[in-house]
Amino acid sequence: MSSEPIERRVSYLGDRLKACKCQCCGKEYFEVRDYCSVCGRKSYGKMDSIDLFYDKGTLELCTYINEPTNKFTKLSAFVYGIVSFHGGKIRVPARLTDQLVCDGKNIGLASLEGREVIPRFRRRYSVGKSDVIPTISLAFTLADEYYPHQEYKVVQPTKDYELPGIVGYGAYSSRFRIKEQGYERAVPFMDEDSVTAAVEAGKLALIHSGLDSTWIGKVYAGSESNPYAVKPIAAKVAQVLKLGTEDGDVQGVDAVDTEFACKAASSMFKDACALVSYPKSGINYAMVIGADNSQAAPRGCPGGELDQFVGYGGAAFIFGKRDVIAEVEGWYSCTSDTPDFWRRDGEPYPMHGGRFTGDPAYHKHVKSAASKLMERCNFKASDINYFVPHQPNPSFPIRVAKELGFKEEQFMPSIQMPKFGNTYSGASLVGLAAVLDVAKPDERILVTSYGSGAGSDAYMLRTTSQLLDKRQRQKINVKFLAENPFVEYVDYTTYRRLKLGM
Amino acid sequence: MQNRPAIVAVGRTKFGEHYGKEPEKLIEEAWLAASKECSIERKDLQACYMSDCFLPITNKLGLEEGFLSELTELHVPMEVTRSFSAALNTACHAIQAGVYDTILVGGIEKMTDRWDKIRDDLMLLDDPWSYYAGGTPESNHELMMRAYIKKHGIKGQDLEKLEVALAQVAVKNHANGAKNKYAQFQRKITLDQVLNARKAAHKPLGLYDFAPVSDGATALVLTSETVANKMTNRPVFVLAIGAATDYLNYTSREDLSRFLAAELAMKKATQTAKVAASDLQLMELNDQSTMMEMVSLEDLGFCPPGTAWKNIYESSQNGQLSYELGGKQVHVNTDGGLKADGNPLGATGGAQIYEVYRQLRGEAAERQINLPNGLRHGGAVEFEGFGTKAYVTILGEKTQ
Repeated sequence: MSSEPIERRVSYLGDRLKACKCQCCGKEYFEVRDYCSVCGRKSYGKMDSIDLFYDKGTLELCTYINEPTNKFTKLSAFVYGIVSFHGGKIRVPARLTDQLVCDGKNIGLASLEGREVIPRFRRRYSVGKSDVIPTISLAFTLADEYYPHQEYKVVQPTKDYELPGIVGYGAYSSRFRIKEQGYERAVPFMDEDSVTAAVEAGKLALIHSGLDSTWIGKVYAGSESNPYAVKPIAAKVAQVLKLGTEDGDVQGVDAVDTEFACKAASSMFKDACALVSYPKSGINYAMVIGADNSQAAPRGCPGGELDQFVGYGGAAFIFGKRDVIAEVEGWYSCTSDTPDFWRRDGEPYPMHGGRFTGDPAYHKHVKSAASKLMERCNFKASDINYFVPHQPNPSFPIRVAKELGFKEEQFMPSIQMPKFGNTYSGASLVGLAAVLDVAKPDERILVTSYGSGAGSDAYMLRTTSQLLDKRQRQKINVKFLAENPFVEYVDYTTYRRLKLGM
Repeated sequence: MQNRPAIVAVGRTKFGEHYGKEPEKLIEEAWLAASKECSIERKDLQACYMSDCFLPITNKLGLEEGFLSELTELHVPMEVTRSFSAALNTACHAIQAGVYDTILVGGIEKMTDRWDKIRDDLMLLDDPWSYYAGGTPESNHELMMRAYIKKHGIKGQDLEKLEVALAQVAVKNHANGAKNKYAQFQRKITLDQVLNARKAAHKPLGLYDFAPVSDGATALVLTSETVANKMTNRPVFVLAIGAATDYLNYTSREDLSRFLAAELAMKKATQTAKVAASDLQLMELNDQSTMMEMVSLEDLGFCPPGTAWKNIYESSQNGQLSYELGGKQVHVNTDGGLKADGNPLGATGGAQIYEVYRQLRGEAAERQINLPNGLRHGGAVEFEGFGTKAYVTILGEKTQ
């Protein structure tokens, strides 16, 4: 069993890669120090905090490990080395992640050395089922592959909007895919889970928004695959992304996990809008994240039908009233007690009601929410530029879109399920991100999520001119993730092994 | 060194897998061997210094001194250190200070009692971040090899020669181990075996490049010069022990291609003993890996940085078991080194001292080296961790 106080300290430093720099001599240290060991007493109180979370480093030296220590055995083999930052001022030990190393003969160690790498927030190693899951950002990926380096630059917002709306967003999915039945589904690497995806999505949203992370007053994390029954994903996100004003090692931010099957996150869009609009909340920006390592029993087992559809990934949206890229014009939600898909406490995989998940569940709620909202806003399908439905499989969203009167060019840009699989709480959010990646200013988007159990949230969005201004900040958009040449395809056995995690 | 301490007896067990023996059986065996040699009895001992690295973990023994007291029915002051050299260093200080004049120094390790976890335990000797990032006990050796190759711009044929040279280190040490009845591996290996093991693992260093996991114990009796002269006409004196410390975190060290601690410890030791590196023709080096034997030759000043591999390669081409360094024959790890003799951490340094003691006294049987001018000094280098602590001990038969 791991010691919780140690976990607290190690992840506090290691998730963010906290470091410091001496004001007197400029020497840099990994970890936090009160004084410089060269300058001694005179440097007391003169150590600047820095961190390497958004930085890029260089893989200085590396070797191949195929007999790891016990907690790493599930990885079988990996590349391990030394990464230097700031021209060698800081050096840290590093594991290269997102690499399926089956046979060391394919690894040219010398060709890896000297390449730029990016720290990634991941699970650290395997622990017992009841233990705290250790995390760290001493896992790195090559900057010239799947995940390029993006600068995080804070930009002061300039324009106020009447309505609250989306200020920035980010979508994340893993490098690995399984290709079956004509479509692709994302597979997490072994050290990824819903927590790491939530952090990745939030990080990309911050980069896109240009907001200082301390300005975020609340973060909602919606997921149905939180590896903990009790312990919030949102707290990890808040600490790793340093949301809210830091006070010692505590973040001045409200963080909460939400759960309602696949609409756990979309449900909170309206709460985020309300929060940033309420003059006394003192909160200017709120982040909503939906991320899942979508669970499914193996094929042939009860509930195993889901195994054909599940994916991995998520998206994060930041809501506010300044420099808005898409205003929220209205919403409508509906709910009924429909047991179409569920997972009992303590069970690893969800069960579902077969055909029942279609008509009385998905179609009824999605159609009801979408048409009610259109009615309220006084819009016909032809008044709306894009329709983003929840997408649990390839057929449901297309049928519902057609029944609502939308044409292919209105809904197809949002259909990402055939690229990433069903990302549960992230599914409609990734669809929305894909649409925002391509939409023009002054266009209307109707998003309709669906959560089993059951309910649906519909939102009417209207894009602004700032959508285009911010677009260039994000290299890693949905298309980039979907059509990335560094995507690696795996077979069914590997997919199950990776999905199970460390 | 004032009040020069002397070794009057040494003892050891065979190194290897002692599945059937409790740790106390091993230390008892080593002590009994030493006590027989100099007819010292338990009552003569005024203090004990014992070293072990992992007994609290491998055998749930957290207060080793008490266990030794129970074993020997001795109630003298006892202290525990992590390495044999550290224990010997402390014992020497006590003799020099005139506090004691007869001390038992012992070392023990029982690594195979935790076979499935010992490689994780070994990571205690590294910084925790390396462990968290997935490092193994072997990885730093390979990273240092990469750093060495890069720093000295070794490529092409030279790189191939370097790789062969490192393999020759293992071949030589096994050839020496074959003549050591206490060694864990008393068999020769071939160059191809070493190279093929690397190829099979697709790694820069392979199975035969690393010292094994071992059980074993070593002991010696250390006395003041006065006591020593009464007990034997051939005491071996501890002329100097140089010690130095470096960062726990290998990645943060300035130069990744060498061990600063070894260089500093050697400087201190040679100054104190008033001998030069070139006076040392017998060295017990800490070959946790073949790479470490190579780098140590440079750190200790036997050859300039970036050249040791050439010397090793050329020496091995003549089929000799010693290195030709600076025009002199230097015999390294005549007992087989950590590679063949074994590496039971707390006892390892004791085996090194055991070998130098035997060689200086001409008692090394088949392994005995013969120099035209006689063997006057010998040295041993021991590390704790990956170059975090270094001890250089210089022994000599005659006082100067």
